[in-house]
Amino acid sequence: MSRRTEEIINSLPPLRRRQVLAGMAGVAAAGLLPKAALAQAGDTLKIRGNANPSSLDPATGGAGSDHVYLYNFFDTLVDWEPETLAPRPGLAASWEFTDPKTLVFKLQDGVTFQDGTPFNAEAVKFNLDRNRTAALSNIKRDVANIANVEATDDLTVTLTLSAPDTALPLILSDRAGMMVSPAALGNDPEANMERNPVGTGPWAFESWTDGEKVSGTRFADHWRKGVPGVDNIEILVIPEAATGLRSVQSGQVNIAYQLDERQQQLVDKMPNLTLVAGPTLYIYQLYVNSARGALKDARVRRALSMAIDREAFVKVTQAGVGEPAYMNLPKAHWAWSEDAAKLTTFDPDGARALMEEAGYGDGLELDLRGYPDQGSVQRQEFLLAQWKKIGVTGRFQNAPVAEASGRFFGEEKVGDLLLSAWTGRPDPSLTYALLYSESSYYNPGRVAPPEGYDAAVQKSRESDNQSERAAALATAQELAMGAQLSIPLSVRYEVDAATANVRDYQANLLGKPKFRDVKLG
Amino acid sequence: MLNPLQRRMLRRRIVQAVPVIIMATFSVFMLLKLLPGDVAITLAGENATSERIEEIRQIHGLDRPLLVQYGQWAWNAVQGDLSNSLLSGEAVTTTLARVFPNTMFIVCYAIVLSIVIGVPLGLLAASQAGGLADRLVMLGSSVGVALPNFWIAMILVVVLALNRQLFPATGFVSPWEDPLGAVWYATLPAVALAASGVAEVARQLRSSLVEVLNSQHFRTLHAKGLPFRTVLWKHGLRNVSVNLLTVISLLVNRTLAATVVVEVVFAIPGMGNTIVNATLQRDFPVVQGAVLAMVLTVITVNLIADMLYSVLDPRISQR
Repeated sequence: MSRRTEEIINSLPPLRRRQVLAGMAGVAAAGLLPKAALAQAGDTLKIRGNANPSSLDPATGGAGSDHVYLYNFFDTLVDWEPETLAPRPGLAASWEFTDPKTLVFKLQDGVTFQDGTPFNAEAVKFNLDRNRTAALSNIKRDVANIANVEATDDLTVTLTLSAPDTALPLILSDRAGMMVSPAALGNDPEANMERNPVGTGPWAFESWTDGEKVSGTRFADHWRKGVPGVDNIEILVIPEAATGLRSVQSGQVNIAYQLDERQQQLVDKMPNLTLVAGPTLYIYQLYVNSARGALKDARVRRALSMAIDREAFVKVTQAGVGEPAYMNLPKAHWAWSEDAAKLTTFDPDGARALMEEAGYGDGLELDLRGYPDQGSVQRQEFLLAQWKKIGVTGRFQNAPVAEASGRFFGEEKVGDLLLSAWTGRPDPSLTYALLYSESSYYNPGRVAPPEGYDAAVQKSRESDNQSERAAALATAQELAMGAQLSIPLSVRYEVDAATANVRDYQANLLGKPKFRDVKLG
Repeated sequence: MLNPLQRRMLRRRIVQAVPVIIMATFSVFMLLKLLPGDVAITLAGENATSERIEEIRQIHGLDRPLLVQYGQWAWNAVQGDLSNSLLSGEAVTTTLARVFPNTMFIVCYAIVLSIVIGVPLGLLAASQAGGLADRLVMLGSSVGVALPNFWIAMILVVVLALNRQLFPATGFVSPWEDPLGAVWYATLPAVALAASGVAEVARQLRSSLVEVLNSQHFRTLHAKGLPFRTVLWKHGLRNVSVNLLTVISLLVNRTLAATVVVEVVFAIPGMGNTIVNATLQRDFPVVQGAVLAMVLTVITVNLIADMLYSVLDPRISQR
């Protein structure tokens, strides 16, 4: 028996050790022990992934679930603080708006791509130009405000903007800021690396078996010290949440992220697992078509919001794992505003009074829309029970996400309210522009927001001072909540389970984990 | 080798298979198109403009009439090109070549278990018809038929994988890379799939054997002094072999269908998981390719069964 085999057997719990030893007596003698039984566990971080990636090329993929894969192979120009999502240096060591329409990035020195070519200003120019102009790019809209990219010197990049846009640094912490190796694409912006990504990230890509596994090995020349914390990474694609939890419970993976909130209670009861939880930008909310019938009246919209006990909503629908949402951002976010949050209250009596004042004292029936999954239906039942107390009735008509939201926001505009969620954007100004601007897709009635709203959002994109930006965004949020243009309900929490040997793993506000600092020991 | 009658039967069966294949793939294609949801929206990403979505529809030919889309797929399929996954871009033939053996490995494992356990149980029950062993086997097989295999799968995982840690809870190892590891990983899924198979084989074998053993022909065999064991194994089993073959061929097809659920429970990268995920994402080339592979498998299994019938009972090919 090899030393390695002995080590593994000695590390097993007593009962299992006896069983394994007994079973092995014959098999091992013949040298036939299954390799999988003794698979090297030491330095491979195994993750349960919840969807097959749509692509491993940051510019061509489409799914929000891809980031968890992409972060391993690519670094972004800008990074963020995990707890608040405030921007911090990434591949760009620093940046500065020299005037509202000029953004200058200074790059980290001595960074190379995994193919050995240097990362420099020319590479950044290639990437940003590819993202904004290549026919294959899915992210043209993210970087639409960039008019020109210039490599000023080897480590300086100057962006000329078509309009002031201080949201750009955080936009460049997302797909648009993931730097791919131009050499690996043969310097052809129309080529793609969907199945063979090459970036500057902590692991170099090794393999992708569809629906099964994506793996990488340590990139020895990575520029961050001590990164990655583990030699190899494997993300096993297991879409089903219950199977995902079992895979970490049985120790076949080290981390299962984005579990269902209701699984937290299960994780708590499993002594061999550590729970990692925290708020995300994902907010359950009701979208309101303010151009339809009774909902044209702001008092009715307000009454619908005031009738909801959000604390109870979190307890009932999320097993208490979450926080009530009083605005479109979670409390931990740098742009969260206490004044704006105060505008949303729980006051059933006040809600009834508002309904009467608006002429609906005898009751109101609404056309409600939603999704058919179990969690959605539970949220719907809770809301109906609360609204019944102020005389609002209705029945949710449910359809799959694409169909229900397509009909509610698109040309048809069916339904008064849609119970759905806002998944968040890296920069909050995008959230406000997308949710309430008159022409925005997510404003189903295409109703103009209150006076001063657009100016406040624009102001937030003209300043690069974080507290000034937060103040401008708070004004926008107060105006939106004052007119009750949507009804936020609760913040979804990241629920991750990790085996006991996982260290330095933390959840982040974006809800898309990064593994570069994780260690096993 | 095959005699002329058998060859004629084989030809006839192959010709009959063509409309079955067309009907199966066409109806799955139309069902998939009837489902709400649009793969172009998925492909276009989170902040997509409607122009981008339209552009993607054109790139993938999703804007063409449905019959044209199906016709194009079928024409390419005839030439061996099952086209590429809309989402990952991988050739569907590559995907199938990877996942199909995994599924067949588990299905074969389950069938072997069904036969190895089911046949002795059936023999035992039939030889002691009405006795205690018979009643126990019949009770057990009623339970086996009644329990859904995904439930059995869950219980097996909790008891044998999570509590006792004797088997892995999820995952799969390719039999080509590590045969013993593959057996280790596939045991729980195969047992879950085999539960109803064992029950079915035991029940069917018992009832046909009891009937045969009570016939006058067998009374004569006893009367001429043959020991019971010879009567049962040599004459009894041969008499019910056609019935047994029917049960097993139906079992293969049913087990193949049951993998759709069991593979999801065990996170096995097989046909079932592939079909479920591709359907959820409206990735129709993958669904079509997988359905085609399943249909061909079922047809082949039936064909083999038909050929074996005529070997076991030569009168069949003469009819």
